[in-house]
Amino acid sequence: MKNAFQRWLDGDIDLMANISDAAREHDHARADIKERDKKIAREIDSRRETVLMIAREREGLKMVYDVIAVICCVLVILVFMYIIAQLPLYGAENVRATTVAERYIEHGLEETGAINIVSGMILDYRAFDTLGESHVLFTALICVMILLRVDSKNQRKGFEDYYATMRETYFASEKDTILRTIGIFLVPCIFVYGIYVLLNGQNSPGGGFSGGAIMGAAMIIFTSAFGFDRVDRFFTLKLQTYVTFVALSFYSFAKGYVFFTGANGLENHIPKGTPGAILSGGLILPLDVAVGLVVACTMFGFYSLFRRGQIGGSLGRINS
Amino acid sequence: MDLSEIFKIILIVLLIGCAVAVNLTPSLLQAVIIFMSYSSVMCLLWILMESPDLAITEAAVGAGVSGLLFLVTLKKIRREDENAEPGETGPAEGKGSRR
Amino acid sequence: MMEWIRFWITAVLLVCGLISFAAGVIGNCRFNYVMNRMHAGGVGDTQGLLLVVLAVAVSAGSIMDAAKLFLLVVFMWNTSPVSSHFLSQIEYYTNPKLFDHMERL
Repeated sequence: MKNAFQRWLDGDIDLMANISDAAREHDHARADIKERDKKIAREIDSRRETVLMIAREREGLKMVYDVIAVICCVLVILVFMYIIAQLPLYGAENVRATTVAERYIEHGLEETGAINIVSGMILDYRAFDTLGESHVLFTALICVMILLRVDSKNQRKGFEDYYATMRETYFASEKDTILRTIGIFLVPCIFVYGIYVLLNGQNSPGGGFSGGAIMGAAMIIFTSAFGFDRVDRFFTLKLQTYVTFVALSFYSFAKGYVFFTGANGLENHIPKGTPGAILSGGLILPLDVAVGLVVACTMFGFYSLFRRGQIGGSLGRINS
Repeated sequence: MDLSEIFKIILIVLLIGCAVAVNLTPSLLQAVIIFMSYSSVMCLLWILMESPDLAITEAAVGAGVSGLLFLVTLKKIRREDENAEPGETGPAEGKGSRR
Repeated sequence: MMEWIRFWITAVLLVCGLISFAAGVIGNCRFNYVMNRMHAGGVGDTQGLLLVVLAVAVSAGSIMDAAKLFLLVVFMWNTSPVSSHFLSQIEYYTNPKLFDHMERL
């Protein structure tokens, strides 16, 4: 009688067969172990003494946990206050802290072409850091998708959520006339405002992140007012994938070389234009658009995944 | 000590109060709403420190989308109170009726 | 002379706006039932906002700035009543003890 390792060596079993996402039947050994564990747990829970003992242990542990938590919090607060007490005051003269900042403030306008020095700094002097941030947003969206996506294996079937679905359709906000009328006026205004904040990133406060967040919020209001069916007509999974991929790869190719050449970078010969116009600042405007698109897709992707477990409409109407 | 400093100190005390109150409220829905108000006070502080980029982003993300995602999570686990069980209630028991 | 009138009009409107907001906040904390609290909260968003924005518009530099401030009022007056509408609708449909709170005439 061979054990599992010898069977795998001889080629009798294939370990990868049950790991792929499209597997329809469960791994039998895993299901048996789960059932056996459930039976043992039920047996243990049915005895009264163990239940009382576990409750008493949990009480004692809670007290210890509370005391240790308070002590750790107070220690962290003291350490932070000690560090902050050694920083220079807000706005005081300090050569150690402001050498680089002086260079950015004095030569910022002529080197980057942006009136908003903050935008010029995060998208021109420090563009590589913003590249990392955009990738972090994309990674967050992928992680949420892994955790929350509903595919055919864990789609809820049957009537276990009958009351939940009844309540959802009873209180659905898509059927409300007031919200729909206001939405017709409101959603274009917020969307255009988001595009305005995005495009004027180098001239006034705003930029990629703010504009993208406002556009994402506009999409969320549109979904609440008109329903997911209307949104699925233009915001599919394919569109979201392509938009994020194109935006991130454009940003990577435009500023990824900084990793090898240092923070000053090579000279880019894109004209800087007159400060104050929209088409100014060299490469800042296209990078702003890329970052804004990634942020908007991420915001709306989060909302859609939380509400119904999918981004496009590919799996049909699922109980939300 | 001029007036703007006093205003900043009042806002910071309010911030600490919000942060402590999030933990101590009995109801999860109240905790989420206090979390959103924390973000709003933070947005005011960013404006007082002369950084409007951060203020716009904090208002849109903290008080907007992040709080909204918390509320959607509360709806999904159907648990508005810390000690209540996930809902076995039937459809709405109110007195009104849909037209 | 002009500056003096403008200062006093701004001050009076601002104080009235702050009183409206204070009434809304105090009502929000002291009332017992959801419908009453909704009524108190709505005062701040509509009347308080209008008075404060009028005060700032009177003391603004140019007519264009004042007009932009009224766009703010238009936006807030469109969105805040919708949220009040939804909250009170949910309260009406899901609270089984609502009719005990009301006086029947």
